[in-house]
Amino acid sequence: MAEGAPQATGPIRNPQDFWGGVAVLLFALFSLYAGSDLPGMRGFAFGPGTAPRLFGGLLAAVAVIIMINGLISHGPPLERWGIRAPVLFIASVVFFGATVRPLGLVISAFVTLMIASAASKEVRWVESAVWSALLTAASIALFVYGLNLPMQLWPR
Amino acid sequence: MWDLLNNLAFGVGVAASPQNLLLCLIGALVGTLIGVLPGLGPVATIAMLLPITYGLPPVGALIMLAGIYYGAMYGGSTTAILVNIPGESASVVTTLDGHQMAKQGRAGPALAISAIGSFFAGCVATVIIAAAAAPLTSIALLFGPAEYFSLMVLGLIFAVVLAKGSVVKAIAMILVGLVLSMIGSDLETGAGRLNFNIPELADGLGFVVIAMGVFGFAEVLRNLEVEHNRDIVQAKITGLMPTREDLIAAAPAIGRGTILGSALGILPGGGSVIAAFASYTLEKKLSKYPQKFGRGAIEGVAGPETANNAASQTSFIPLLTLGIPPNPVMALMVGAMTIHGIVPGPQVMTKQPELFWGMIASMWFGNLMLVVINLPMVGLWVRLLRVPYRLLYPLILIVCCIGVYSVNNSPTDVYLTAAFALVGYWLVKHDFEPAPMLLGFVLGPLMEENLRRAMLIARGDAMVFLQRPISAGLLIVSAILLVIAVLPMMRKKRDEVFVEEG
Repeated sequence: MAEGAPQATGPIRNPQDFWGGVAVLLFALFSLYAGSDLPGMRGFAFGPGTAPRLFGGLLAAVAVIIMINGLISHGPPLERWGIRAPVLFIASVVFFGATVRPLGLVISAFVTLMIASAASKEVRWVESAVWSALLTAASIALFVYGLNLPMQLWPR
Repeated sequence: MWDLLNNLAFGVGVAASPQNLLLCLIGALVGTLIGVLPGLGPVATIAMLLPITYGLPPVGALIMLAGIYYGAMYGGSTTAILVNIPGESASVVTTLDGHQMAKQGRAGPALAISAIGSFFAGCVATVIIAAAAAPLTSIALLFGPAEYFSLMVLGLIFAVVLAKGSVVKAIAMILVGLVLSMIGSDLETGAGRLNFNIPELADGLGFVVIAMGVFGFAEVLRNLEVEHNRDIVQAKITGLMPTREDLIAAAPAIGRGTILGSALGILPGGGSVIAAFASYTLEKKLSKYPQKFGRGAIEGVAGPETANNAASQTSFIPLLTLGIPPNPVMALMVGAMTIHGIVPGPQVMTKQPELFWGMIASMWFGNLMLVVINLPMVGLWVRLLRVPYRLLYPLILIVCCIGVYSVNNSPTDVYLTAAFALVGYWLVKHDFEPAPMLLGFVLGPLMEENLRRAMLIARGDAMVFLQRPISAGLLIVSAILLVIAVLPMMRKKRDEVFVEEG
């Protein structure tokens, strides 16, 4: 750890590691639970469940080590999450998934791009609208006409 | 020797077809473009373009994707020298002396020497790949399931040891990738695994979904948080050609960089970043005037730029001969090959000679094109840097969205990509490196298959991995590497290598 970097204060001295370990542990336990109905070893042959259990078990063990490390080492505090960028950007992706079939590529791509443009603090609306229209046209030219992807252009 | 020349000539014949030349040029251009633009790396770009390559013949598709990778190494140096921004992580060291040279009005020679060095490295590395391929392939044919499993363990351990940051966290990321790769159907019994009977998950998670989510979208989310003030100091580029003294000073550095880079590129997990750092350190140690480094020493540009290019090319060797990807970009190449129904590994050379030799020969063409693309057109690339990020990321978004959707015409894939974008963002916030996860995800099915077979052949005796000499050797090397990486003394040394990046 570099000198002078901000250090976390409080009971958990390396929160990035501690909470990172907790989350990975939960993921590992969840994968073990999800694979618990799969048959395991049959004699000396692997069953479908053997490898998932092996990897999941190892992951759980490593996660515990990371957690313990988070308790005994010093580290930087948790970084703050942005709100605007993740929410709007992810929303735009989900919007695309939800509308590309019913609304067709033209409307769906344009609106997706407008939502995504709003994710940046530097957004300029007129510029974004022009740019989104251009990108929509260009991607249709590339994917639908250039690469012949079977995609609906307009609402059906 | 004669075989080698014959094979290369055959490869040149394949690569010189008009279509393949055009694809190579497109790859080199796109690579230069993303190399110049910070915030868009080869991993995200190749992931983005994977779906586009569906319609292409496999040879052409791989030629183009390979071009993007080594093209990015060229492009990255341009921004590093002119604007002090590494367009590519492998160009970080180039900023140290390259930008100093530019400030002293010697941007031209700096750009030229990095192009010349890269070209030289590219040519040598191409021959090395061709020469090393046949012997390595014959070794690979001796490998049984136990050896393959141990080799993959070694590859993953290398990736952990050479990655920066916490070793334990990198191991965790590999295991997360392995667990994710288990989702879908069991290879042998066809039983659905970890998929909660969701039909869209029956075939497992798509490689493109994870790569675009974690590398493409998460990268955008991270970039949106940092302020973008790219004040471009308009460096006047006068006189591209380096002087005689420049060439004399740079020539040994180029030679050493080529050797060092080629060696490090072959190592799993090594790759171009390490090669560039190692070369810079070496040049500084060997130089009679180490105080010149950081103040515009031409060796400090020539060495690392040569090394990163050599490494990016020789990293194709493990992929083409053993079928094992040594870095995330090569993991994507595995994805691209699988899409086209090619199983990467020793059999590629015998079963698909036109693919194998065509791709190798195309690297030489690509390097030649890159010199032409980069030197005379350097002004154009610099102007591209003025494109603000708020215009760049919508482009990334829409290409990714349409690309992911078009793989299976499935909206579910788009939602999953959004989910993995959040996962990737979370990983960055908690200081986890996402690259090992991708490697684990790609190697997961292969590892399981070989582990299963080895255990079955050995009648359930896990000692088989230690009884077979090659396998035992590989595992012992892995264990030693891991111990060294965890030892506190060595950790300090390893961290120092990365300190200069700051």
